[in-house]
Amino acid sequence: MFDLRFFEIYRNPEYLLLLGEGAAVSAFLTVIGGALGFVLATNLSALRHYKVPILAPIATIYVEFIRNTPLIVQMFFVAFGLPLLLGYQWPFWAHALLALSLNFSAYFAEILRAGLAGIGTGQSEAAAALGLPTWLGFSKILFPQAVAAMFPSLNSQFIFLFLTTGVISEIGVTDLTWAGLYIDSRSFRSFEVFFTLTVIYVLMALSFKALLGLAHDQLFKWKAVR
Amino acid sequence: MKDLFVSLLGKPFGIVVFQLLEATQFTIYLSLIAFLGGGLIGVCVTAIRVSPMSWLRTVFAAYTWLFQSVPLLMLLFLLGLGMPRLFAIQVDPWFAAGLALTLYTSAYLSEVWRGAITSVPLGQHEGGRALGLAFAQIMILIILPQAFRLAIAPTVGFMVQIIKGTSLAYIIGFHDLMAIGKRWANSPVPGTQPFVIYPMMAMIYFSLCYPLSLWARHLEKRLGSTSSKGGAAAAA
Repeated sequence: MFDLRFFEIYRNPEYLLLLGEGAAVSAFLTVIGGALGFVLATNLSALRHYKVPILAPIATIYVEFIRNTPLIVQMFFVAFGLPLLLGYQWPFWAHALLALSLNFSAYFAEILRAGLAGIGTGQSEAAAALGLPTWLGFSKILFPQAVAAMFPSLNSQFIFLFLTTGVISEIGVTDLTWAGLYIDSRSFRSFEVFFTLTVIYVLMALSFKALLGLAHDQLFKWKAVR
Repeated sequence: MKDLFVSLLGKPFGIVVFQLLEATQFTIYLSLIAFLGGGLIGVCVTAIRVSPMSWLRTVFAAYTWLFQSVPLLMLLFLLGLGMPRLFAIQVDPWFAAGLALTLYTSAYLSEVWRGAITSVPLGQHEGGRALGLAFAQIMILIILPQAFRLAIAPTVGFMVQIIKGTSLAYIIGFHDLMAIGKRWANSPVPGTQPFVIYPMMAMIYFSLCYPLSLWARHLEKRLGSTSSKGGAAAAA
């Protein structure tokens, strides 16, 4: 009854190449999207931390809206709605990157906000006493501490978001999931294909975790020394 | 109901709104299946993972790790496309989507609940034993009431995650809000352009999810949570 034939997919060099390319695209878009999202999240969390009039409530609404709607709806809006409304057309991967960055930013912003809230007010007061302007106090004193405290949460959130990026294949980005769907439509070996894909996703998630662990040790040496 | 929408908003658009709201009920049903099924399996997994049976604990730790690490999309593909091929059977989208979301939910909820139970200090166990209570009595009378208090907020928060997760089920042929909305977005009917329909769908998802998020936050403030990290991950 079971008819497992993994070798059919593994022996075809075209399929292997496609899986490799797809994995690279997935990893690349996730990392760049995560980095852009982190930069945006930094600004969002700063706006919310300093309670900037008008902008802070907007940031809060944005974060809550993104966090409470599915990525796939956001992505379809970014990929098909906005271009139609505003009259531009980017390549698929650029739409996907924009959608991923926006999505990542809201989750990161929420974590960073919690991190900033956890830092004692004495730190801001010390920064002010040193005569540092607000932005320097934030970037040199508050923010590094918030990131250091929240690194494990940011890390696991990043891994979690990586595992949701497969939906970008739905707008035609040739990522890992797209490669799987393509191979499935050619070989009709659905179980083998998606099992292979799952294993690749899990291995990639573990690699990201290990790399972020190394980055943590390098970035926050000062924390251990203190 | 249908006539009201049609007369209120003009023919094509009224039907779109009605169909979206009609499809929303399937999103809700699927979420409830996942939550109740996942909760049921989750309780069993949690019970085993805090029990004294060490090899079974390891097996179910692997179960939790597995279904937490596997992307939900891949679970849907494996159960909705892979399983029918492997066994040469027909699989109903309700069954495949329900099972995928149930397994996914059970892993997350059991992890949250195990975290809540293990975060009750060990002294509470010792206190129970000093009073001469059996293991089951210690659990039911002392540990679980305290763990419940810590677990309730992340559990509610995770429901948001499930509702958002159901949006992927259309990929294996499930007719929920996402499927109907996507079909309209691809139609030439005026008023269903992607920049209208996707924000409308987002608003429907938001109106389902946001009250739960607020409730979870309220509970977290009142009762505390397993950890700030657990809360954040559960509400993700």
